[in-house]
Amino acid sequence: MQWPVRRSNGSPEPIDIAIIGCGAVIAGLHASALRKLESRGTARVVALVDPDRSRAIALGRQFRWARPFATVAEAFAATAPALTIVASPPALHADHAVAALAAGSHVLCEKPMAVNAADAERMVTAAADARRSLAIGMTRRLATGLLEARALIASGALGDNVRFVYRDGAVYDWPVSTSAPFSRATAGGGVLFDLGSHAIDYLSALFGTPSVMAYADDAQREGVETNCVVELDFPEASGFAQLSWNQPLATGLDIVGEKAELRLHPFRPDSLLWRPRGGRWQARESRVTLARDVELRPVRGAPRTYYEAIYYQLVQVLRAVRYGEAVHVDGEQGLVAVRAIDTCYRQAAPLRLPWLAAAEQARADDRHWSRERWLAA
Amino acid sequence: MAGGVAVVGAGGFVGARLLEMATLAGRTDVVPIVRAYRSVGRNAHLGVPHRIADASRPDSLADALAGCDVIVNLTTGRPADILPITGSVYAAAVAVGARTVVHMSSAAVYSQIARPGLPDDAAPQLDHWMSYARQKGLAESFLRERMREQRPAIVVLRPSLVWGPGSPWVLGAARELLAGSAYLVGDGAGVCNLMYVDNLVRSILAVADDPAPVSRFFHVRDDEHVTWREYYGALAAGLGVDAATIHGVTMDRYRVGPRDALGALRSSSAYAWVKERIPLETRTLIKLRLPHARRNEPESLGGRPTVTREMWELQRTRYSLPTDAFHAAYGHQNETSFPSGIAASLAWLRFIGLRDGDRSALSAA
Repeated sequence: MQWPVRRSNGSPEPIDIAIIGCGAVIAGLHASALRKLESRGTARVVALVDPDRSRAIALGRQFRWARPFATVAEAFAATAPALTIVASPPALHADHAVAALAAGSHVLCEKPMAVNAADAERMVTAAADARRSLAIGMTRRLATGLLEARALIASGALGDNVRFVYRDGAVYDWPVSTSAPFSRATAGGGVLFDLGSHAIDYLSALFGTPSVMAYADDAQREGVETNCVVELDFPEASGFAQLSWNQPLATGLDIVGEKAELRLHPFRPDSLLWRPRGGRWQARESRVTLARDVELRPVRGAPRTYYEAIYYQLVQVLRAVRYGEAVHVDGEQGLVAVRAIDTCYRQAAPLRLPWLAAAEQARADDRHWSRERWLAA
Repeated sequence: MAGGVAVVGAGGFVGARLLEMATLAGRTDVVPIVRAYRSVGRNAHLGVPHRIADASRPDSLADALAGCDVIVNLTTGRPADILPITGSVYAAAVAVGARTVVHMSSAAVYSQIARPGLPDDAAPQLDHWMSYARQKGLAESFLRERMREQRPAIVVLRPSLVWGPGSPWVLGAARELLAGSAYLVGDGAGVCNLMYVDNLVRSILAVADDPAPVSRFFHVRDDEHVTWREYYGALAAGLGVDAATIHGVTMDRYRVGPRDALGALRSSSAYAWVKERIPLETRTLIKLRLPHARRNEPESLGGRPTVTREMWELQRTRYSLPTDAFHAAYGHQNETSFPSGIAASLAWLRFIGLRDGDRSALSAA
């Protein structure tokens, strides 16, 4: 337990935060939660880092103490944040997180943690060396439905032979400001990085460490995958995850055992349906609660939306900074998803797309990005 | 690139399939143009560079059209934008000296098709009750006035219901069938006037590849005369739904239902004013509490049909659009038959996991 520095009125000093990368993730997801925490005196944003100075300045209008910086080095030379939120492009996560940790800051890194396992391992080592927390922004872990489901599965309520199907997909609509996320050269991958890192982490939270049994996607040439299917085996369960950037998948996680079934929705933190095999579906209320503030004896609650989950995530990480509590997903846990994604890409095969004519599918197979690798080999 | 085919609105349903078909056919002359980077996401697997342009601004669009002499307008969006974007696309085409503008209109401009053999150049119904159809009609009128110019040639294609994998006409019908809320107006003998998306893409490309096009309007549709009963019946059979669960709606006159009432509210300026002032977080919270947000939850499936005016009118259509003129000008482009289209649509529905309890995507890998 660490005790917070207190102000003259007895309340703890706010925790200083730096933000690296002032794009859509921060503006669209984190800013509101950060403003809330700042208005309550819990935290204050002191540094905003972005090579596009106009974006840092624009975001800075929301935060009273924030100063814009063009580089990470400038920011850490001028400020000493206790927490750094890394929300830069994924290929830069490792460098930025390592720099922040070296500067003595704890880190909350947006997902995907890194674009390859070597980078992710570098981040974990840096956190251990600096004795700082490295949290990964796997917001869906804060879903009380997930936590309740984990308890049910652990109790054996589903019975043996547990199978799962995880689907998450819709037409891509994230307000990106460049085409960098859509090229293998600049992004490293597509929907598997984006939604797959959540999916694998979500399943890992329920079932443990996965083995990748098979993986197929639709990426051609320099493109990135917009559809993929990954078959996963866990010690006590097996199934597949299907992800899409262009198809309206029936989003949700179905888990079926010999005794009972569960259904979760990754965007609805409190959603959990349950039925015994052959019985009627019923909503299951979660009794799990999370800390809602950074007080020593916190008020507790549960996120109802994705936005609220972002707030709760920040609170968990700030509590780690202040009291040394465990974060919701640490670097070692984040590594599980990164390693699985690495394995997927190493064994990528062309995905069968049912709307393609036979000649089109053959051409798509021929253009599959893994062909370049085979040819090079 | 000389002689390129610019596809404005390449991030939409038809535009994305056009790009996919062209790319997989080995074509390298198709230039996808989208409004924002986010729209590249839908086509990111193809590895085809996209150009970014605001289709409502001729100067922005003209830059993106460099090297293209055919412009296919497949933009979608708010009805209020249809006419301005049509004007902007035309102005940009003139500015770059394009050979052809292919404009996607809709049979919706006629409301119901009230007589057989409707000529391809029949004037649209400009007082249509539906804003989308009214604006599509105004866009047709705008282009009709400019067809007298020598260049560019303006070819207007007028499909009715564009269906197939990815189409809302397939997904919506399938969801209603599975939920037990699908319905047929009268005896379901109304004509569907379907246009399979791949057939539409082939038709578009046939026009685009015409070296000497002539300005004119064309109805386009599939070859088969499919009724609504046959369409819903084929989907129901493939989904394992008993066709007897499809409701019959016998009303001889449309009465405003909840979905249309909600639609009218949503299209009002007051609604837009209020929506803009409610933070996204709050809107998300409200949405989650609305009954339709529970759609994926098996116990919430309703079973009562919600009749909309659009569907009520569509299902009362008695005549097919004649397509002789298009076939005479561009040959037979409808390679996909109704049974093949149904098979592909059902395979797609399985792929997206729509059928409750379906586990077949494992075999997709």
